Parts: sequence; C-alpha cells; structure tokens
Amino acid sequence: MVDLELLFHGFATVLSGYHIVALVLGSFFGIIIGAIPGLTATMGIALLVPFTFGMNPFTGIVMLLGIYTGAIYGGGIASILIRTPGTPAAAATVFDGYPLAQKGLAGKAIGMATIASGIGGTFTALCLTFFAPILANFALRFSAPEYFALAVFGLSVTVSLTGKSPLKGIISGCLGLLIAMIGLDPMGGFPRFTFGTTQLTGGFSFVPMLIGLFALSEGFRQVEVILTAPKVSAVLTNIIPRLRELRECTKTFVRSCIIGLIVGITPAIGAETACFVGYSEAKRTSKHPELFGTGILEGVAAPQCAENASTGGDLLPMLTLGLPGDAATAVLMGALTIHNLQPGPLLFRDHSDLVHQIFAGMITANAVFVILGLTFARFFAKVINIDRRFLVPLIFIACMVGSYAIDNDIFDMITCVAFGFVGYVMIRYSYPVSPMVLAQILGVMMESNFRRSMAMSQDHLSILVTRPIAVTILILAAVTTITGIRRQRQALQLEEKLAAEAVAAASRESGQG
Amino acid sequence: MANLTMKKADIIAAVIVIPICLYVFYESGKWPVPALLGRPFIIPRGVATFLLVTALLLLYRALTGRALELEKRLEGADLRRVTGVAVLTFGYLFIVERIGFFITTFSYMLLFGWVLGERRWFRLVLFAVLVPVVAYALFSTTLHVPLPRGWLESTLRDHGLAFIFR
Repeated sequence: MVDLELLFHGFATVLSGYHIVALVLGSFFGIIIGAIPGLTATMGIALLVPFTFGMNPFTGIVMLLGIYTGAIYGGGIASILIRTPGTPAAAATVFDGYPLAQKGLAGKAIGMATIASGIGGTFTALCLTFFAPILANFALRFSAPEYFALAVFGLSVTVSLTGKSPLKGIISGCLGLLIAMIGLDPMGGFPRFTFGTTQLTGGFSFVPMLIGLFALSEGFRQVEVILTAPKVSAVLTNIIPRLRELRECTKTFVRSCIIGLIVGITPAIGAETACFVGYSEAKRTSKHPELFGTGILEGVAAPQCAENASTGGDLLPMLTLGLPGDAATAVLMGALTIHNLQPGPLLFRDHSDLVHQIFAGMITANAVFVILGLTFARFFAKVINIDRRFLVPLIFIACMVGSYAIDNDIFDMITCVAFGFVGYVMIRYSYPVSPMVLAQILGVMMESNFRRSMAMSQDHLSILVTRPIAVTILILAAVTTITGIRRQRQALQLEEKLAAEAVAAASRESGQG
Repeated sequence: MANLTMKKADIIAAVIVIPICLYVFYESGKWPVPALLGRPFIIPRGVATFLLVTALLLLYRALTGRALELEKRLEGADLRRVTGVAVLTFGYLFIVERIGFFITTFSYMLLFGWVLGERRWFRLVLFAVLVPVVAYALFSTTLHVPLPRGWLESTLRDHGLAFIFR
C-alpha cells in the first residue's frame, strides 16, 4: 500500500526550490521537443540523460519525468497548428485539431488539448501511486524463474512494436539480444563476441547506444526533410476553454483516462496506440459521430487525454517489475540504472522514500505542463518555426558531447554515431528501432535469470514449468505473441481508417461551407 | 543508398545477418562451461537460430517479390545532404581528440550549417562560435565534465593560459 506520510514528504521534496526548478525546466524543454515535428519524447529523454549525471538521482529523475510528460503533451501543438504531429503520440489530434485551427479556433484547441492531457496524466499518476506498491509487493515473491518468464513475456510483447513488417521487427529484436551478449559472460566472466578488443569487454555502453538509436537517427532523418518543414501562421486567442465546454467532455475524459491506463500498462504499447484508441472510442460512442473530423473540441480532448493517461500506465511495469512499457520508459530505465537505481520490487523495498518522491514528481509534472502550456502557448507555437538548419546541428552536437560526457571516452561517442547511422538506415528500410533497445534490456534479464534458474535446478528445465507464477507468465507470453501481430495489424488499419474518415469529414464540411 | 530499393536492402540485410548467426554458433562452441553455472551457449544459440530462420524468411520474401514498398527514395539534394552530414560527423569523431573540442566543433558547426543550406555567413560564423562556447560552459564548468583537449588547449595551458578554461 502507498505510504501517505512518505507521499506527502515526497511532495514537499518535489516542491522545494531545486527540484521544482529542475521539473519546470524539464517540462519546458519537453514541451518544446514535443512541439517540433520529428523530435520525440524518447529523443528528448535520451538527449538529456547525460545532463542529469551531475545531479542528485531524484533531481535528475524528476527532470526527465518533466520532459516525458511535457513532450507527450507537446506533440498536440504541432498537430493542431500545422497538421503534422509533433510526436507520433499526437497523430490522432490532427483529425479535429487542424480543422479547428482552420476555423480560427487554434487557441481554444490548444487550451483543450492542454487541460485534457493534464487530466489524463494526473489520473494515471494517481493510479500508479496507489497500485504500484501492491504490484511490487507481489513481485517480491519472484525468483530467477519468474524473472526469466517476465523477460520472455516482455520480449513477446515487443512483437507489437514491429510496425508493418513483423519479420523485420523480430530481426531487430534478435539483433538487440545478440548486442546485449557482447562483453563478459555474466556468470563465467569470460569474454564473448569482443573480437579481442578491450573496448568491447564491457559491451557497448547503453546510454550512448540509446542516444544514437533514438536521438541521432532522428537527427539524420531531419537532415533528409530539412527543406520541407511547414511553418506556423495561426494567431492564438481564447486559449482557456469555458467551463461549459469542459463539462461537455466529461464522459470523454473518463473514457480516455481508462483507455490510456489500460494501454499504458500493457508492456511495449504506449501513447501512440492510446491516442488512436481514445479517439476511435470517443467517435464510436458519440451522439454525433459525423462531426468528428470537422473540428470539434471532443475530437481533440479524447486523444490528448488518452495519450497522457498512458504515461502513468507505462511507468507501472517499469518501476515495479523492471519491464519497460515503451521506448521512452526504456530510456528512463537506463537513466535510473545510471543513478544506481535498479527498477523492480527491490527498489520499493530499499528506496521507498525515493519511489514515493517519484510518484509525487509524476503528479506534479502533469500540473506543471498544464500551467506552462496555458501560459506560454503562443511561445510554443512560435518554436515550431525554429530554423532547422541550426536546430539539427545542435541535436548532433548534444548527442555526441552527451555520449562523451558519460565516461570521457571517445569510444562512447563513436558508439553513439555508429548506432545513430545504423538506426537511421534501419528506419529508412522499415526496421523498427524500439525492439532492438527493449530486447537489449530484456535480453540481459532473460539470460542471467535463465542461467541462475539452471544453476538452482542443476540444469533441469522443469524448474521453468513447475513454478505456478512462471508458468502463468510463460503462457501469457505465448498468447501475447500469437495475438500481438494481429493487434498490430488492427492498430495500423484503425489508424488508416480514422485518417480516411477525417479527410472525408473535412471534405464534406468544406463542400457544405 | 540512392538506388537501393527495399528488395535490395532486404537481401543485403539477410546477407549480413546470416554470417552473424553462423559466427555466433562458431564462437559459442569455444566458450568454457563453468561447473554449476549453466551452459552459456544455450541462449545465444537459441537467439541465433531464431534470427537465422527469420533472415532466411526475409530473403525468401525479397526474392519472391514480396518486399514492402519504400516510402521515399533518397536522391538528389536530400542524398547529398545526408552524405555530407555523415562524412562530417564521422570526420568529427576522428579529429576531435587530436585537435581539440573548440576548433573541431567550430569547423563542424560551420560546415554542417553550410551543408544544410545556410548561406548567411555572419549567422553561420556566430552560430559556430557560440555552440562550442556554450557547450564548454555547460559541460566543463556547470556539469564538471572535461571535454577533449587536443593540441590547442594543451598548448595554451603549457603557456600559462589555463585560466581561460576554468
């Protein structure tokens, strides 16, 4: 159960001068990252991880939480103003957000998006606060076979991240597993796949690889499209929605909060899926579904609420079990590990005060981005027009210097650039990058716990199928693998269907106008 | 990469991945088997087997004309920009520790902006000067992370000018 005294102490810590400044700065930076198309929340977190090294662990974590929640919200700003989602999680906001902007209601749309995001994020932050300790307490019963089964389950759900080609996603994941094996054997201590070099004895450094795969690869993509970035010309007025307008969206908020929580908790699917499911359900249950796509506030509230609602859900398996909820939480996990904090049930047992500070930080982060979003909406709108010819080089230098800063080792910078280029080529030819990263985290967990299980049982595989929790998780993994590909196809079809319906609705509206 | 269709890319990927899988089998056969610590080759060989099967399936799909469509070909000005940035970035890696952070980053920012199409020299030079200065201030001074010195900083320090870098 949540310890209320520790939680209140957590709030007191978050709201103290140094930490709240870090949170506000992180949130501000996160909204900017989210608002600029092509820059993702994952990229923002990856870019800023090296900057948190010199901070105390909680300050660094709370800054990264600010970036995470701010960036997920910020993607809606570009969706509304230039019909291009700032982040993949805001793709569904385009359907009604841009038509609203075309009607001269861009300010109101952004205001509604801000408040909806805040409601969704706060709801699931509270759910995280109350449910995480219960799950972590249950997970204290886990031993090596259960952790092995969890890792297999996590790997099975990365099938959901394979995009249009499951084969390519599986190749990406398997390569991630092999990359995780480079270095010293975890139990025997002998070198594996090091080619006799000392640099590879410790394997590839995780954070530079993350920065390369998520941030630098995107930088290369931005170089490709640098001349085609659209500009914002809308004027924002009447940003704060009326109470009546908020009341009319009450059912939408409730529905989207629940959708976001369920999607977020499911490992390996996150805000991108939540926004489409939230929008689709709002349309399906509306009394006037034909209005969706023509520019209505409910069409902005639903996806924005669901996408930020998924953030708390994504953190739940990450904090309690060490299973990343999506790519962004995988990077957050890397950041926690760098500060010597291993996510999982032992984090709750040994660092309970810090965990409650994280809960307080997450709840506060949602309030902070609402305040910043409503106050500085016009500034964030202008940020979209930033000259990419200066922004992109800055991204490159931040990635390289950030990677170097970890261990003052040029090999880390080389790792970042090499994986950045590889990541760019992978994305270009439809190989998803997220399975590679998730597999590296889960691969270490899988192999070390498998070996421990074998050591415990003197090489009898039966240990994996005679322990009830482990067997249940392995069965879930098998079911998830089978349904994962079908779920991914359905998500892609839903995305295409909603996009087509939104275009049709907009055409009808302009025809009648 | 300019004329690389999805089919060719898939074939190349399979051709790269298959030897990797075979190498995993080869190398894992040389590992010792520590007593009571489990057999270390099981997981790597399992992954390599799975990867090999997947790569062969991908190769089969590519050869039978079932590769995905490439969204957009990389050609013309886009290709020149990406190639230019890649060359500059890899070049930066090789010279930053030799020459030092300031000069290398100044040159890198200048050339990077030029490759991306910025032609107003005042803005380019100002940007190229500001970036290493701000990065140095942020990393070296605030975060206490030393950046690559190279010969310029070492020379200035040897001549009693270390105060510049505090």
